[in-house]
Amino acid sequence: MAEQKILVTIDENGKINASTEGIKGEMCLDELQKLLGDLADLDSITKTDEFYQANELKSTNKIQNKKQ
Amino acid sequence: MSAVVKTTTPFINKEILLQALKNIGCNFTLQGNEILTERKDYYGLQKFSLNNGRYVFLHDSSADEGARYMTQIGGYPWGNIKNQEYKSVSEFLKSVENEYQSLYQKKLEEIELKRLEEEKIRLEKERIEFVEKQKTTIIERAKEQGYSIKEENVKGKIKLVLVRNTY
Repeated sequence: MAEQKILVTIDENGKINASTEGIKGEMCLDELQKLLGDLADLDSITKTDEFYQANELKSTNKIQNKKQ
Repeated sequence: MSAVVKTTTPFINKEILLQALKNIGCNFTLQGNEILTERKDYYGLQKFSLNNGRYVFLHDSSADEGARYMTQIGGYPWGNIKNQEYKSVSEFLKSVENEYQSLYQKKLEEIELKRLEEEKIRLEKERIEFVEKQKTTIIERAKEQGYSIKEENVKGKIKLVLVRNTY
């Protein structure tokens, strides 16, 4: 059993910061897309080393959105 | 030949006019659309009367002349604002006008402050609603994706921890 975790922080102005833990490769971006897709304009994506380790059990990616 | 005509500020706002009269120490009573002052002349109480959207001061035009004459000979017959120094109609109107303009300016400033405060409240409400909607949408979508959700409020920020177990 593997745990997939997404941490979402919404600041007082509606700016979103989200990161994933335990979701492999591109899937983590897909998951963030499903959750946040149209909610705000994308400001930046930071891919960690784990993102490229698609076969690893755990990958981590961060996505940051701006308030619309 | 040329002429220059100068008028006083039209007293349009009753509330401000009444406050101006109070501030300069002129007692008054209200009677319909008229504001009766305690200033007297030959025809009785001098008054402001609503006429074409402004309060016009009605008085005996010879009152000032008579009052000046009577003052010279030891008294005047027209009554006075208590024991205050006598003011001619033009002096009285000038005092009312100055006070009226000052109050009017303050009123404008109050309105502007109130407007800004209301605008600030509106913007804040809009912001809070926006953030709340974002949170609700994310939670709904997370539930659909099978995540369990834990919500925290940390230093004014909403923190959502979404967890899902896969096999």
